[in-house]
Amino acid sequence: MSVADTKLYRGALPQKGEPAWLRTRREAGLARFEQTGFPTRRQESWRYTDLRALQLTPFPPARDAAALSPDAIAPWRFAGETHRLVFVDGKFSEALSAIGTLSKGATIGPVSTLVSARPALLEAAFDAGDDAAAQPFAALNAAIFADGFVLALEAGVTLDKPVEIIHWVGAGAARSCHLRNLVNLAPNARATLIESFAGSGLYWNNAVTRIALSEGAALSHAKVQSESEDGIHLALNRVTLAAKSAYQSFVLTLGAKLSRHETQALLAGEGASVGLDGAFLLRGSQDATNVTFVDHAAPGGTTRELFKGVADDRAHGAFLGTIAVRPHAQKTDAQQTSRNLLLSPRAAIDTKPELEIFADDVKCAHGATVGDLDEAALFYLESRGIPADAARRMLIEAFAADALDRVTDQPLRDFLDGHLRRWLKVLPA
Amino acid sequence: MLDIKNLHARIADGREILKGITLSIGPGATHAIMGPNGSGKSTLAGVLAGKPGYEVTQGEVLYNGRDLLAMPADERAREGVFLAFQYPVEIPGVNNMYFLRAALNATRKQRGEPDLDAGQFLKAVRAKLKLLEIGEDLLQRGVNVGFSGGEKKRNEIFQMAMLEPKLAILDETDSGLDIDALQTVAKGINALHSLDRAVLMITHYQRLLDFVVPDQVHVLANGRIVKSGGKELALELEKTGYAGVGDAA
Repeated sequence: MSVADTKLYRGALPQKGEPAWLRTRREAGLARFEQTGFPTRRQESWRYTDLRALQLTPFPPARDAAALSPDAIAPWRFAGETHRLVFVDGKFSEALSAIGTLSKGATIGPVSTLVSARPALLEAAFDAGDDAAAQPFAALNAAIFADGFVLALEAGVTLDKPVEIIHWVGAGAARSCHLRNLVNLAPNARATLIESFAGSGLYWNNAVTRIALSEGAALSHAKVQSESEDGIHLALNRVTLAAKSAYQSFVLTLGAKLSRHETQALLAGEGASVGLDGAFLLRGSQDATNVTFVDHAAPGGTTRELFKGVADDRAHGAFLGTIAVRPHAQKTDAQQTSRNLLLSPRAAIDTKPELEIFADDVKCAHGATVGDLDEAALFYLESRGIPADAARRMLIEAFAADALDRVTDQPLRDFLDGHLRRWLKVLPA
Repeated sequence: MLDIKNLHARIADGREILKGITLSIGPGATHAIMGPNGSGKSTLAGVLAGKPGYEVTQGEVLYNGRDLLAMPADERAREGVFLAFQYPVEIPGVNNMYFLRAALNATRKQRGEPDLDAGQFLKAVRAKLKLLEIGEDLLQRGVNVGFSGGEKKRNEIFQMAMLEPKLAILDETDSGLDIDALQTVAKGINALHSLDRAVLMITHYQRLLDFVVPDQVHVLANGRIVKSGGKELALELEKTGYAGVGDAA
């Protein structure tokens, strides 16, 4: 990494008004980033991600967000009632947000205000796990993040409606937005979280989300990445699960020129369960990587993972999935599937499912396929008068639907279907 | 309606399967093409419907005076050509109803008719389902997914009944059907019959022809029509088998 880069980011360290502990975290993060620099393709989990676009253009951290009309975010709104937080250029927009009335024991708000109001809670967003993750962008994020969302529930609290987060970056000079988010669910708390990323023009979103689920807690988490076609999107979700807690996630990747989403899940307590599902649909020269690392560190855990990938034109997708089972994590039940569809001879998808099993009484399976559109099915649809392009879209939608079927919450499913169809340019049936 | 003139076609490996077929079917007519396995029956059906994998090397096919072979498969269908598949394709994830409505509305659009709304569509569906003795629950599944062999064949004829083609090509629709299903399917085919429509039945056996009586029967052997006649030709073949006509080729 060049000296110029370091200056670019060192200059972005907030100068005052923050508690000392946070300042220490920021300095440590920056030092770590200066030490590691950008990841290189020699690192296995970055092997398929070409970061040149990020290095060729300077992306100074975003300063002041321009005022935005509510119309700009309308396409990204969830249809039902939500607790809504909107971030524009990586900063909380009070005008566009509608958090609403919260149940007792629920905290939902921006990091920028909660950092002084709830310091003990916020410190949890910056644990040593960031270092262990060896994630240079997470280190940079720790140093210069401007804002993020907090969702914290006390024991036994169940939110009455989903929490909706819209991350929007407006058109303008190239810049970066660094979001640090925190989800902290106390025992038996339950919530649904819906995140949308969208924007316009050339920018880089760098989001780090720390999710801690206590015993018996459950989080359903859907993410739609629909960044602008010039956008760069890097995200790391770090999830720790206590006994009998459940994390169910669906990541729909549709946008950005370059993107990488990584989920790391640590099943620290007995009988925890993780569902990591997703679909990526790419065209043009888009490049997207999905990385999952599930660490079964306690007995009786369950993982269900299904990713469907579609690449058209010259697009490139990658799925890198690892499930590790530690020696004492007996009775682990893990399944991982990656199925991919190439729509053009110049498109490519790399898939690398991996199991690292150190326990002997486990049930683990994985599988991966890469194939073309079923010509026989295509002809069948065409032979009934359905135009060739519509027939293709039907088959692509059906391919992705397999993963979306894992989303059992109907409004959430409809929300994801809507985004999928927008990508496919299909009008609602 | 359909004029096939000296049609030659080959498959990807270069083998010529159709070696000069000439056949004319007028409106209101029902023709049957019979022949042994490998005689080119399914190739003829595929070429007419626009199935990929065939190359026409000689001859032409006119459909209502238009060059049928120049049209893409989906356009042929919207212009009223329907192929009932010998092996209907299973398409997981594409709902039967959704598929059928898309097909019907694409065809109606071509005819200059407005889209059917959900209510009108459902009404039309129910009437035809009853005719073909198909349970409504089948339509909630993926296209042909989990259908028995007989259900798949009935679904083909059900789709035909919904789309109301001008030219129906039935590729071994009778194969794999028990006698009750055969009668149901025949009822569906006969219900479509009208003076402005034509039917081309491709079959190995004559038994479907007991229920859907053809005006003309043609015997296909080794890529050529070697014999044509009335419905009695089918009965004759039933007795003598294809050995005799095969020699004639």
